[in-house]
Amino acid sequence: MNNPTGDKAPAAPTRHRNSGPGRLLIAVYGVFALAATARAAFQIGTKFAEAPLAYLLSAFAAGVYLLATVSLAMPGKRWFWISVGAVGLELVGVLTVGLFSLLDPAAFPSDTVWSLFGRGYGFVPLLLPVLGLWWLYLNRPGRVTQPTTERSSPPA
Amino acid sequence: MIVDGFFIVGAVVCLVSAVICVGAAVIRQPPNDITILSVAAVELILLVYGVAAIIRQAGGEAIAGEAWEFWGYLLTALCIPLAGFWWAILERSRWSNLVLGAVGVTVFVMLFRMEQIWDRVPL
Repeated sequence: MNNPTGDKAPAAPTRHRNSGPGRLLIAVYGVFALAATARAAFQIGTKFAEAPLAYLLSAFAAGVYLLATVSLAMPGKRWFWISVGAVGLELVGVLTVGLFSLLDPAAFPSDTVWSLFGRGYGFVPLLLPVLGLWWLYLNRPGRVTQPTTERSSPPA
Repeated sequence: MIVDGFFIVGAVVCLVSAVICVGAAVIRQPPNDITILSVAAVELILLVYGVAAIIRQAGGEAIAGEAWEFWGYLLTALCIPLAGFWWAILERSRWSNLVLGAVGVTVFVMLFRMEQIWDRVPL
């Protein structure tokens, strides 16, 4: 299966948000959506009364990651702006929660994905929105739009 | 301190797979037989681990942590190579090999958590 990829000739122009490096970005977002959702479901399902605020925050973070994953993968201008919103919200969330959990640990007795700037997850939650916004900026609508942006989805 | 043999084997398979896939991406290869088979090996070791865990638990071996949490991790981990394969194969660029590499890393972390649950080892 060593195809020297002659079909990949035009390197940059026909790119889309969910193409090239974007595929890795979306995959990592997907992993975080999964991890955050599972964590929030576990916390809320087993010990919600212990720290309602922190666990609601976990659920909120999970929702943001899910929205970011889906919107990054979808084509079109509307989804672009939805992903800007979701990734921006993620950045605000990780900075706010990170700062508050540092300054006032008592208010966050239990960890969320964003506690201490995502230290429990190797600080990836802090890095991810920065990379995400950069990637969205590089692929903003109207930059190198090709007439063939509406690629027919491959037979899955 | 006991570390489960299944965890060690699984961790090695995951890390080898991740190294192969990232290496293939570095030399600008699209997903090929080797990288895809390495991800299939990750799925296979998870299946073996799962079957062995059923047998061990049915045989009365105790889990230190919550059994349902262990199974939650295992069932979720089983989906990850499949999802990664699907996502990588839709666009066969070298970046897709990094997606396949992320499978190994993610499953490694999940195996690590499963080991913590099974043996309550603060590794």
